[in-house]
Order: sequence, then structure tokens, then C-alpha cells
Amino acid sequence: MSGLRADGEETAKMTLDESGAKRRGELMTEIDLSVNGRRHSVECEAHTTLLTVLRRLGCFSVRFGSATGETGAAAVLVDGRLVAADVLLAAQAVGHEITTVEALNVATGEYHPIQEAFVEAGAMQSGYSAGAMVLATKALLEANPDPTEAEIRDALSGILDRETAYVKVVEAVKRAAAALRGEKCRPMDPVVVDALAGYKASPAATVTEVDGEVSMAVPRLVISPDVPQTAVVGKPETKVDALRLVKGNPAFTDDIEPRGMLFAKVLRSPHAHARIVAIDDSAAAALPGVHAVLHCRNTARVKYASGGQSWPNPPPWDQVSFDDKVRHVGDRVAAVAAESTEIAEEACRLIKVTYEELPAVFDEVEAIKPGAPVIHDETDTEGIFDSGRNISHHIEGQTVSDEALEAAFAGADRVFEETFHVQQVQHTPIEPHITIGWLDEDERLVLRTSTQVPFHVRRMVAPLLGLPVKRIRVIKPRLGGGFGAKQEMVIEDIVGHLVLATRHPVRLELTRAEEFISTRVRHAMTVTFRSGVDAEGRLVAQDMSVVSNTGAYGTHGFTVNSVSGQHGLSLYNCPAKRFRCDVAYTNRPVAGAFRGYGAPQAFFALESHMDDIARALGLDPYEIRERNWVRTGDPLDIVLRLGERGGVEDLAPEDIPVITSCGLEECALQGRRAIGWERRSDPAWHRPADRPHIRRGLGMALAIQGSGIPLVDMAACSIKINDDGSFNMLVGATDLGTGSDTVLAQIAAEVLGVPIEDILVYSSDTDFTPFDVGAYASSTTYISGGAVKKAAEAARARIVVRAARLLGVDDASTIELHDRRAWALDGRSVSMGDIALNALHTEDQEQIMGTASHVSPESPPPFAAQLAEVEVDIETGQVTVTKLVTAVDCGVPINPITASGQVEGAMLQALGYALCEEVVLDEAGRPLNDRFGPYWIFRADDTPPMEVYLVQTMEPSGPYGAKAVAEIPIDDVAPAVRNAILDATGVAINAIPFTPERVWRALQPAT
Amino acid sequence: MSYLRPTSWAEALAARAEYPEAVVVAGGTDVMVEINFGRLHPSALLDLSRVGELRALGREDGHVRVGSGVTYQSIMRDLPGELPGLAAAARTVGSPPIRNRGTIGGNLGSASPAGDCHPPLLACGAEVEIASVHTSRTTPVADFFVGPKRSVLGPDELIAAVWVPAATGPQTFSKVGSRNAMVIAICSFALALHPDVGRVGTGIGSAGPVPLRARAAEQFLEGHLGETGAWESRPRLGDAVVDEFARLVAGAAQPIDDVRGSADYRRHALGVVARRSLMWCWDEFRGGRP
Ligand SMILES: Cc1cc2nc3c(=O)[nH]c(=O)nc-3n(C[C@H](O)[C@H](O)[C@H](O)COP(=O)(O)OP(=O)(O)OC[C@H]3O[C@@H](n4cnc5c(N)ncnc54)[C@H](O)[C@@H]3O)c2cc1C
Repeated sequence: MSGLRADGEETAKMTLDESGAKRRGELMTEIDLSVNGRRHSVECEAHTTLLTVLRRLGCFSVRFGSATGETGAAAVLVDGRLVAADVLLAAQAVGHEITTVEALNVATGEYHPIQEAFVEAGAMQSGYSAGAMVLATKALLEANPDPTEAEIRDALSGILDRETAYVKVVEAVKRAAAALRGEKCRPMDPVVVDALAGYKASPAATVTEVDGEVSMAVPRLVISPDVPQTAVVGKPETKVDALRLVKGNPAFTDDIEPRGMLFAKVLRSPHAHARIVAIDDSAAAALPGVHAVLHCRNTARVKYASGGQSWPNPPPWDQVSFDDKVRHVGDRVAAVAAESTEIAEEACRLIKVTYEELPAVFDEVEAIKPGAPVIHDETDTEGIFDSGRNISHHIEGQTVSDEALEAAFAGADRVFEETFHVQQVQHTPIEPHITIGWLDEDERLVLRTSTQVPFHVRRMVAPLLGLPVKRIRVIKPRLGGGFGAKQEMVIEDIVGHLVLATRHPVRLELTRAEEFISTRVRHAMTVTFRSGVDAEGRLVAQDMSVVSNTGAYGTHGFTVNSVSGQHGLSLYNCPAKRFRCDVAYTNRPVAGAFRGYGAPQAFFALESHMDDIARALGLDPYEIRERNWVRTGDPLDIVLRLGERGGVEDLAPEDIPVITSCGLEECALQGRRAIGWERRSDPAWHRPADRPHIRRGLGMALAIQGSGIPLVDMAACSIKINDDGSFNMLVGATDLGTGSDTVLAQIAAEVLGVPIEDILVYSSDTDFTPFDVGAYASSTTYISGGAVKKAAEAARARIVVRAARLLGVDDASTIELHDRRAWALDGRSVSMGDIALNALHTEDQEQIMGTASHVSPESPPPFAAQLAEVEVDIETGQVTVTKLVTAVDCGVPINPITASGQVEGAMLQALGYALCEEVVLDEAGRPLNDRFGPYWIFRADDTPPMEVYLVQTMEPSGPYGAKAVAEIPIDDVAPAVRNAILDATGVAINAIPFTPERVWRALQPAT
Repeated sequence: MSYLRPTSWAEALAARAEYPEAVVVAGGTDVMVEINFGRLHPSALLDLSRVGELRALGREDGHVRVGSGVTYQSIMRDLPGELPGLAAAARTVGSPPIRNRGTIGGNLGSASPAGDCHPPLLACGAEVEIASVHTSRTTPVADFFVGPKRSVLGPDELIAAVWVPAATGPQTFSKVGSRNAMVIAICSFALALHPDVGRVGTGIGSAGPVPLRARAAEQFLEGHLGETGAWESRPRLGDAVVDEFARLVAGAAQPIDDVRGSADYRRHALGVVARRSLMWCWDEFRGGRP
């Protein structure tokens, strides 16, 4: 390339531009930034990111998801273009116009049309990245007012959302585009479809044609004739917390900063298994700016179990805040509080730890073999089933004796046995674990923390800190997702210790890498099913045995694995069932609660197994399921023999719970129609002529879950009226993005005859709100909803009495509440506001209020059918899921939009489980993919089309007929995909994830 | 840490000479990850983002001169006709926030074996223009990389631009397991046909310590096409030719086992992609002939 001119030939005298970036002293620079049209002078270091500076300036909508630009939570506009502020130098933004979503927040209580579209479409669950999504939309629509779906998905592809599966986000962008073009959109009302399984929709319901015109973001609703008409319940109300989320208002844990706050860092183990022989913290403690260094030599040894569960937490209590042994890479060694994160990090580096390394074991099956290294050899942990064999728990439950079971197998026409393996995956909420703690004016410890279980945390942290419960207050602000990872006391005790040691406010936020290795993961399991069937394919004996990997600690080990048995053996009727499980300690990251809670593992095995049996018997996969599935009135005969109240030896028949509502058949039929099941018998469809390397297939799987833990989960609510006839509602329930605040408000509004905006929900703060176990076990709508309904009814009882008096009616029970008024039979009415003023100010004054708690003796199961359409590239092994369908019976969906949002999000998380997610360690137990990218979660542009059917059933024990919805749709995507691959290729793969390499290897002819 | 912010190319080179220990920042999408992770503690940052010259596109002698500060976004928008392979690669990079900031110079500067610009630049026979206060030189992309994350750049040098011959035939870029296909890149492959000079260019990413060319595959195909007069007659390619090409591409890879896939599988997958790329490019070249 000779002769070509190179720029810069003549060297100009170097002049550094001093106007924007003055060098001051050693480190600090002052830069002038233009943010949302205003100029700011900010002091920062040369390497400070724009994210840090913007948050310092109060742009709370710009959020931390990782330090790598991979989550997009920190995306902002620079000169109108979307960029990742977490990987942009603040100094590089000088001279450019920076826009955050705060720029759109011009009027109090009002929305920009894009924000309006996000609210209407239900595009936010936790809303942690809502600001970034709104900005991405703004940038897109300014350049392209009428984008295609692919363009929308590309524009959103840099912002990860673990909650919505992008379905309603894409819908919101389309709606925003239409609104900005001046067009009108169809309301988000569900599309009513005809029932297929016998019952007809109530005559009041008009069946809408599903004509492809109606967006997939709108759920399809099958209406049950048993469901009464309601005013607020069952309607697609917008989220009660939409405003704070879509505007990026300070709502999350990190959106406050107490003065004098210190920053905490945790020193983590580099070894999978080692004893701490010595710790020298002198250099760390001497570092200027360090306020405390805590470790096993200077903190009390108090045993606990970190799982957020009702008292008494199931044993073993095998953890301490700082142990003298480390049991996995990333285990806690020490914690530092210092004046900056950098100082805290430096102090961690200065702590000298002498380890005695020990052999490690990672596989659950290896761990329980004789001779494996003993992971819990300490003498002060009680309740380990067999510490010498690394068995934290042994769980058994069966409906018949061993002899009867074997007799049943002996009488079977065919017996099938298969073993399956499922891997560890991580929840990856985009908001990491974060806690900010301080001492209040009464020197009580306040923990503002991203938790699903504030009340459990308060009780569990108390003994570790040596404080009585009454000296602790736990505040749960908005959460940026949890999925079970925050049903666990992962960091609150560390912050508590550091606050007490320093008497300063302390903040600890985990890095993305820490999220992967030091929080919680889903239990890996090796699951064996042995099934006996008769000639027609009816199950006569089912034996499920599991070796489960709890990682380094046994938290949730008992309950998660019990649930595997409870659900895995409840979907089908079978006269003889047995469950056996060993839960193994290993030197892997700690397994805990994760949406689905043991059920996805069980269903991957069960529903794969059922397909294989069907194939062997020449039955359609639907047929074999139909011959075996449970129906209304069938007993849940294994449930009480496992779990919290398990071990019930001789159950009287009347004690065995029965299914009180079941839409499983309807779900399966809707799902089968929606996926185009008839194509299974079309060979030409399976082998598209124009793409010889592609095979197509369809798969189905069914599931059952629970609605809360019977007789254990308790929730409470209190409601009071205000002068204007609005109500404050305090709940201990924790909305982690699921929309539970909204659903609970709908229940209260229905009872009280007011619109949802008159219910002001506050959740949750252990000082103010009544108790609730927290957000887990699919309990919030069913259990907390039950409490809300009762509390609202108690308030209603006082309202109708006072209304009757005001209207001169004798019988208060004839008063009806609707449209913000109390009505007499003769049509006269009084407004809720007048009733409130009368009660609070004028006559026989009282605070109209209601408080109630709710426990259920039952846990009515929701049901689901999930179906997948796949394309397998037989040359590369690449599996592409081209469509997913879920039909779910969650009783009466209180809010079809939030319910379908739960289903969509769960489907996508489950698709990651099926196809690509796995926490991978090297041979020394070090993480190989502790960041997004190598750990791939789906983006907007690789998400397949999804369709959701909500099949109504009227559950008599649920509030307004509701059951649970949040967990069940995560159960069955993996087996549906697996069965679709089987249909496509004839190859059955019994381990996930279906990476291209695994599938390709499975497709190679056996040699 | 000091922060240097030259506003012209001359200032930038001078700053580079004066502060050889400074870390150069273009879009920052690679550098900032390193800094945020505490893996890099530079004493100075040299920000090139104000140097307007680096964002320029130029044309000379059938080449496109792509300034080192040109972003993926600009490559996708401005160059799909002239540099289809590079534009296709740019489209697969990260996501809009990354494509709006990340630059071709930064991609080369990081010298990652997984850098997406590298395979198409190799396949096109691009050259990197490197300058210091004193000199300016160009080096073929194939010689630019010397090891994992290491290049021939000297401590006082900066990448000025990349010279890429404008396409004269079909070009493709594929990632095995790219986005829209639901897993991350296991390996990548670029193919460029240069019918004007009877040349075939290849580039392989993520399958060795440095981005690689499959020279034996190139020579085999060039030989076959030349000997059979296929550049002119444009016949269908026989399976044997395509398979041999694929075999040679796979053989050129030096993959390792890692979390994304085993070496064996990567080599296999690369062969598949090479075969498909050749069939696609050749069909394109034949322009729909029977
Ligand atoms: C979320 C995310 C996703 C990504 N996805 C991809 C992907 O799909 N494919 C891909 O290839 N990359 C990807 N990257 C990596 C990165 O974006 C690219 O490598 C990009 O091209 C780097 O350009 P930059 O301008 O941001 O470089 P910088 O970060 O500014 O610099 C990178 C390196 O080059 C040096 N450098 C920069 N300019 C010059 C110059 N003119 N002269 C000498 N040295 C220079 C720097 O000193 C540094 O060492 C991704 C990064 C992130 C954060």
C-alpha cells in the first residue's frame, strides 16, 4: 500500500484539551457533563464510568446489572444513541448530550407516550431496566417510526430482561410507535377462545376469533362457566407500581445513600475445599479508610441455615457467618467495610489467609460414594443425615409398602427405567443481591435489602448478630427480580455485622461474578424413574429416586427435594408410588430455592420418560398422558407423605387431599391445537425439502404445582380507610416484580367496590406491615390474596354498617358496594368519601379498618401443558425452538396480563435451562462462565414466539377462585423441547442443556 | 491516573509517544471491562474519541480506508455494498449499545481470537495502517496478530486505519451458534471470493490463539477453480470439491476445549460452516444459473 498518505505525518505540538478534563491533584478530575439538558460539574476519577456519575447526579433510572455492558440496565442515550454507561468513561461523555429516562419525566403523575405504552402493555415486571428499555425505544422510534418486529427486537437486544421474555416489551414498542404515529391500539383485554374439553363458555362471554391479528402479547382466555362476574378481579388492570418503575424513580435498594456510608467487600475462597489455618488481617486493618475487617477469628460462631423458611428452619444448620472452613470456590472468608469500594477491595487483597487445601468433590453421585472427601466434618452441626457420606438429607415417601410396590411392578405388562441428569443454573436477577444497613436514631439496626423474605430475614439474622428481633427492622423496597435467589439470607448478616462493628451505614452489593458463585443455584439432580404400565399404558407402579446436589450447604435441601417427589409423583394416577432421595453435599456453589423449586428437575425426568414409554407402546404422547392424568376429585396421595408435614405414616383416607379444580385436559387440548399437533404425523413437515439438514419436531409435557405450603404459609394484611374514601393497604407480601401488589390491590378493590387506584399498597417493612412468609412457593396470590380478601371484608363489614345508618337502612347486609359508593336496595347511595368523613370526624368516630391473616389447609394445584416446536440442524446439532405454547390452569387469573407475563417470563427462563444455561466449573471448582455472554440468557432477538392460554377453573378455596401461576410455567419447557427433538430426530437425550455439541454427539451413530 | 484527550491525530501520536504506558481508549467497550474488573490499573488513559480523522471513511485504488475509530454502527450503515463481509460481521457484534461505541480499531487493538472483524478482514486481505510520531507502516492483517491478545503494535504506535479491498465477489460471515441461534459463538468463519484476481480468502475466529486463515483451503479452491476455468464458466461445484474445502478449513483450525465446546466439535462445526459458506457464495456468484 505504498504511496498512501498516513495521517499525522506532521507532528503538531501536543495540546491537551484542558477545558473538559482538568487534572486536579493526583486522582480527581472535574468534568462538565450535559445531562437531560442541564450542565453539571462533577468530580470523578479518570476511570470513573458514566454509570457511577449519573447515579451520583440522581439519575436513578440508570442501574447496575454488571460491570461489562452486558445487561443493558445502564443503557443511556448519548447524542440520541443508545450506549452502555457501565462501560463508558464519564470523561468521554463530555461535550455530548446525555439523556436518561428522567428527561421524559416532565410532569408529575404523567407519562411520555412511550412510558404510557409500557404501562398499558404490562411491559414491566420488576421494572429494574425499564428506563433503559424506554430509551432504547425512543432511539429506535426517532430513527424509524414504523419498525418491524425484527428491528424492535434488535433495538432491545442489548437490554437483558429475565422477567418478561420481552413479549410485552415488544408489544409496548409497537404500541408506542402506533401512538406516536397517532394510531389507536386494541386494548390489552384477553382474547376469549372456545373451550375444547366439554364445558362451554358462559353466555355472557363473547368468544373472540383468534385470527393472528391479535398480538401474542395478549393471553388467550378460556372462560369457565363457574366463574362469577367481577368488576376489578379478572381485568387487565395496569400495575399499581407502574409509575415509579417506568419513570425510573428511586424505588430500589440502592436508590438511597445514607451519609457516611461505607462500602463492603467480601473476600472469597479461591479453593473448593480448604481449612483456614490462619488469617492475618493487620495490613488490611491498617489501610487508611478501612473501618472493619471481619472473619472467623473475630466473629461469633452461630450456626444457621440460610434458607428463608418458616420457623424453625429445617435442619441442618450448617452455616456460620464466617467459618474456619471453606467449602466451595466463592465461599465467604472475610468481609471489609471501607470508605470506598476500591479501598475495600484493596483491603481484601491485603488479608493474608493460610489455607490447608483439602480434596474436593463436585458430582452428587461421586460425593455419596465411600471415600469421598467429607465436606461437613465439623462437630457442631446438628441434623445432617449422614455427614460421613456427605448426605445432608435422606427423604422417603411412598403410598404403599415396598412389598406392595414390587408386587405392582411384578404385575405390570412392561417396566421402564431411565436415568436423567439436570444441571446447576443460576437465577440471574438483573439486580444483584444488595443490602444497605444502618443504625437508626434509636440505634436499632435497619436493613434495607433486596429480599423476598423480609420477615424471615429479620428473625434469622437476629441470633447471628446477637440482637433480639425487636432491635431489627427489615425494609424491602422494590426488587429487581429474585426467582428464589432472594428467598435466602445471602448477605444481610454480613452487612449487619459490619454496621454493628463500625456504627456506620454499610452497603454491600454483589458483583455479577459473585451472583454466579456465591448466591444460590438450582439443584443439579440425577433422577431415575422406574415405571410399570399395563398393556394400555396405564401406570401401575412408579418409583422415583433422586440424588440431588445441594452444593456446599444444605439450605432448602429438604424442601426442594421433597417437592420434586411431591409434584413428580402427583401428575398421574398410579396405585403404587415411591420416592427416595439422597441430598448430597458437594464443593459446588450452594443450591437453594429457584422458581419451580424441585419441580422442573422432576418433570424433565418424568415427562421425558412418559414420551419414551409412549413411543415404546406405540401411543401418541397425548394419549398416554390422557390415560393417566389426574382429574378433579382424584387424591393427591403422595403429597402429605413428603415435605414439611411429611412422614405421616398412616394417613386416614379422609386426610388425603383431593383435587378440587383441574383444567389439565383443557390445557392439553388448547396446547395441542395451538402448536399444530397434527403435523406430528406429517413426514414432509418433519423434513423440509429445501433444507436437507433440518429436522422438525413437536413435543409436549404436562405439569402440576402447588399454591403455597398448606398449614405453613401464613400471610396477613391490614387495610384502613382515608378521608377521601381511598384505602391504605399494608401487606407483608413481597412483590419482586411479579405484580403481586397489583393483584392484591385488585382483590381488595373488588371487595370494597372501588377502582384499583383507590388502594394504596405498601409492601413490606417489618416495622409497619403485618407478617407474611414472603414471596415463594407460589403462595402470594393464593395465601396473601386470601388474607387481603379477609381484611377487606372486615373493613367492608364496618363500611356497610355505617352506610346503612347513613342511608337509614335496617339491614346492613343488604348494602352493596360498587363504583366507590354504598348502595341501598332502593337505589340510594352514599359515597365512600362521605362514609369515611362520617367515620373519622363526625359521628361515633372510628377508624374503619380490617386486619386479617390467612393460612390454608390446602394447596390446590395449578396445572399446565407446555409444547414446543423445534428445528434441529442435524449437521451442527443446533436446536432452534421456533415456537412455545403454554396453557395453564391457575384457577381464575386475577389479572390476565400479569398472569400471562409470569408465564412468558418463566417459559424463557426455562428455555435457557433447556438449551444453554449451565454453571460450569473447572476441575478445581473455579467458575468458567461467571458472566453473561459465556453464561447465555436469552435476549429480545433470539426469543421464539410464545403463546399463552389461561384456562379458567373456579378453585373453591382460592380468593375469587385463584390458584398460583408463577412457578408452573418453568416446569416443562425442557421436556417439551426434549420430546420435540425426539420427534424430529428419533434421538432421546436425557441430559440438559441441549447444547449444539451435546445434540450433535447424540445424533452420531453409535460406534 | 491522568486523562489525555487529544483532538487531532497529530496530538494523539504525540501523546502516545510521550506516554507509552497510557492505555488507549477508543469506544472503551473492551478497555472499560478490564478497568472495571480491576485487571487493568493504567497510570494514564489516552482517549482517541475526539480525534475526528479516525472516524473517516476514504476510498482509494479500489480500497476502502476505514478509520480506526469507525464504529460497527457506521460499518453496517455505510459499507454493506463495498465490504459485505465486514458489514455482516459488524451486524453480529454485541448489541446496539456496543455497536454504537465499539470500533474496528478497538477490535484489532484487543487482538482477541474471537474479534468479529478479524475473519472478514483476513478473508479480504486487508492491511492495517499503523503510525507513530516518526513513521507510518502498513501490515497485512494476517501478520498483525502475534498471540492471544497480542499484536505487532509497538508502545509508541497507534492504529490509524484499515485498508480493505472493495468486494468484487460474494462474501459471507457466519458464527456457529451465534445470536438468533441461541448459543454463543463456538467459532466463526468468513469467506470472500475475489473473481477479478482468481483468489479465495478465508478467515477463522475463536478457533486458535489468533485469528487464522485456512491457506491450504484457499489454495486448493483457487487451484481447482483456476484449473477448471470455473471463474469464467461458473459451473456447479461438485460435492467432492466442497467437502475437501470444508475438510481443509476444519484442518486449519487450532481449537481448544472450553466451556463453549470441545476442540473436536468446534473443528467439526467449522467444517460445516465452511461448506455452507462456500455453497452460498458460489451460488451467489453463479447468480442463479442452473
Ligand atoms: C457487551 C459486549 C459485547 C461484545 N460483543 C462483541 C462481539 O460480539 N464481537 C466482538 O468482536 N467484540 C465484542 N465485544 C468487544 C468489543 O466491543 C469490541 O472488541 C470492540 O471492537 C472494541 O472497540 P472499542 O473501540 O470499544 O475498543 P477499546 O475498548 O476502546 O479498545 C480496545 C483495545 O484496543 C486498543 N485500541 C483502541 N483503539 C486503538 C488504536 N487506534 N490504536 C491502538 N490501539 C487501540 C485499546 O488500547 C484496547 O487495548 C463486546 C463487548 C461488550 C462489552
